[in-house]
Amino acid sequence: MPLLEASRISKRYGGILALNNMHFAANAGEVHAILGENGAGKSTFIQILSGAVAADEGELRLNGAAIRPRNPREARKSGISPVFQELSLIPDLTVAENIFFGDEHLSPLGTISQRDLNKRARDLFVSLGLQPMPVNVPVRMLSIGDRQIIEIAKGLAGDPDILILDEATSALLPREVDWLLNQARERAARGKLVLYISHRMDEVRRVADRVTVLRNGETVGTETTAALSDDDIVAMMLGRRLDRLFPERRTTATERIAIKATDLKVGHQLRGVSFALREGEVLGVAGLQGHGQRELFMALFGAERAEGRIEIWGKPVTIRGPGHALSSEIGMALLPEDRRGQGILLGKPVRENIVLSALKRIVRNGVIDSAAERRLVEEAVAQLHIKTDSMEQLAGTLSGGNQQKVVLAKLLATEARILLFFDPTRGVDVGTKAEIFSLMRGLAARGFAILFFSTDLAELANVADRTLVMSYGAIAATLEGEAMTEGAILSATLSQRSAA
Amino acid sequence: MNAIVAIVRRNVWLPPLLVLVLLGAAIGIMRPSTFAMDQINIKVAAAMTLILIATGETIVMTRGGIDLSVGGILSLTTAICATRGDPGLVESIFWVGFVLLLGVLIGVLNSVIITLGKLQPFVVTLATWSILEGSALIILPAETSGVPKSWVDAEHLLVGGVGVPIMLLGVLIVLWAWFSRTPIYHSVRAAGSNERSAYLNRVSLLGTNAWAYGLSGFFAAAAGLYFSTQTGAGHPTVGTQYVLPAIAAVVIGGTSLMGGRGTLLGTIVGAFILTLIGDVVFLLKLQSYWQWVMSGLILMLVVILTSLTESRASRGGGS
Repeated sequence: MPLLEASRISKRYGGILALNNMHFAANAGEVHAILGENGAGKSTFIQILSGAVAADEGELRLNGAAIRPRNPREARKSGISPVFQELSLIPDLTVAENIFFGDEHLSPLGTISQRDLNKRARDLFVSLGLQPMPVNVPVRMLSIGDRQIIEIAKGLAGDPDILILDEATSALLPREVDWLLNQARERAARGKLVLYISHRMDEVRRVADRVTVLRNGETVGTETTAALSDDDIVAMMLGRRLDRLFPERRTTATERIAIKATDLKVGHQLRGVSFALREGEVLGVAGLQGHGQRELFMALFGAERAEGRIEIWGKPVTIRGPGHALSSEIGMALLPEDRRGQGILLGKPVRENIVLSALKRIVRNGVIDSAAERRLVEEAVAQLHIKTDSMEQLAGTLSGGNQQKVVLAKLLATEARILLFFDPTRGVDVGTKAEIFSLMRGLAARGFAILFFSTDLAELANVADRTLVMSYGAIAATLEGEAMTEGAILSATLSQRSAA
Repeated sequence: MNAIVAIVRRNVWLPPLLVLVLLGAAIGIMRPSTFAMDQINIKVAAAMTLILIATGETIVMTRGGIDLSVGGILSLTTAICATRGDPGLVESIFWVGFVLLLGVLIGVLNSVIITLGKLQPFVVTLATWSILEGSALIILPAETSGVPKSWVDAEHLLVGGVGVPIMLLGVLIVLWAWFSRTPIYHSVRAAGSNERSAYLNRVSLLGTNAWAYGLSGFFAAAAGLYFSTQTGAGHPTVGTQYVLPAIAAVVIGGTSLMGGRGTLLGTIVGAFILTLIGDVVFLLKLQSYWQWVMSGLILMLVVILTSLTESRASRGGGS
């Protein structure tokens, strides 16, 4: 009997089905890897296991007995200890307070002894074979790598029956990765179960006995690691796709350079990125979550302070902020990651949303010229095929795809000629996706320059002219033409940190 | 310089303490009699209402919330105290217990509405404040003396020259030394520091909020008991005068408005600063309205100083 079994698990977030009848089984004494692209449902499954969210349907069984962790406390009681990718450390508590949070030894007066916590933390670091670190400082003062080590130490502390490592190595140094893989193997050898979630194939090969692959919220299959080649695994992760989703691609790039960025740096997230985006070009950007692509877009848009040089249409500029980026001097617009939070005013009509960033064009003598406003909105609605009852329909009542079109209309109304698209198809239905792609190619043909990040590698492989692959805040590869396949992009995103 | 910043960061109440010492020195020079024991008793007595309210507010703000209803609880409890007639000992104990429990219940009610309704603490406690302030005026339509004489006498006892307020302050500090080491306060800090992380770390948000707001209600009710026995009267509108100073005292004391960090020592220092400003204004023979101007300036000064050490430390602290 498997130690942990999940059957027919479904979880819906709004209109998106994150898990769809997925199933999973793992045995005591194994390291079991869970693989899949971004959005395949791995994180949702881990969150359900650890009680952070509840499944809509389905059943979890531990040693054959049904469990239903309603919160992290109950999951922990069942012996499930997660190491979260997002990191669950509490910034204002010290290292020691964090590691033993909820498991403190209390004095007869019911108080927590700081000295006792510190000693236990130091002992834990020694027993795990970790380098000592100061245990009495607030976690917010530490680097992201140290925090990840602490999060792992915390997960290992109670010697749990089921240890979940969710992208636990993303900020670790190579020797620290070796240490963690040894810990995982050692625990499996003692009869524990370790679930290992990672994008890094080499780590999975070194540590996992078996792998389960998820795609679009469903289980593709479970195999022993040795029975699969890397290509097999990539094929399982990607599956087959619709080819007609993508428009015909004709090169429309000219020699004029819209953005020339040299050695852009933002903190530890973006470590010196240089590239050129040409007029008429769709330049793809690929990268796993947290590898600097967000910072790249924010730096270009002036929303994040960056070091390095930026030239726009050949002229060196310092982009002082989003308002400056949108101005006619720069002429650059961003389609943001978080549509509902940053891109669209749900409680306002379609008309107001579209003209919001183009007020200058329709204002005559200090007041809005309603005829000009109407023309602008009608053009946009027609050009983008926005399905709306009227210009006055509230944006919040439109479908996700149509909301995204309103955001696009708003962008185009600015008359910016450089467009930054950050994951424009997230949460958008297939039909609208196809429209967005053909719109992008159409804009490129008219001389727009488009920087295009997507978590869906097939979109990059089929829509972009070239793709920059980011890894650890740097460009790991630039792919184009025949070499720019989904598999090649995926492999490049998984590449090791160079010279770190 | 960096060493100083590090020390200040660990003991956020040091800069306000410096301000307090300077204020005390200024007053001492202008009126040397200030440091006699009876004067100290008077000063502590004057600051105690604010200290009690601000103690509860410190807990709530460490949780990352805010509690405006303390003003209403203060008004209501003074009104209740002033309408008790002439109770005997047993009855007195009952009513004191009743008033404190009422404060706790109001606080817990606040927390339940905030947590289950996923509402802003500011709005919820603003509403309760208004409800309670109105209730106070229904019970006692105007400022009236009538607090039981035995209560007033008990509060004005002196033991070896030391008044009840100083003893209360001592008890408060000891209790805090204990409370700040309990798992409950750790949960309050954790939830204030990062709610999501706290939840993933098995903190019950409902329970933690109930503790934070319940204690805030308790201390506001204690402040009401204290204030009415100090003055011998019920003041159904007094709460309005204390809400913003209480929040100011907490902030001056170095408790983070973002939650996660709080210290009662700082709050006590902050409350004394705000109280002594009145003395300075009086001794300088200025109009009493200058008190508000100076309070505001000191609040701004302390907040700017704190944010400077914050940003300096975060620049030096990252690796």
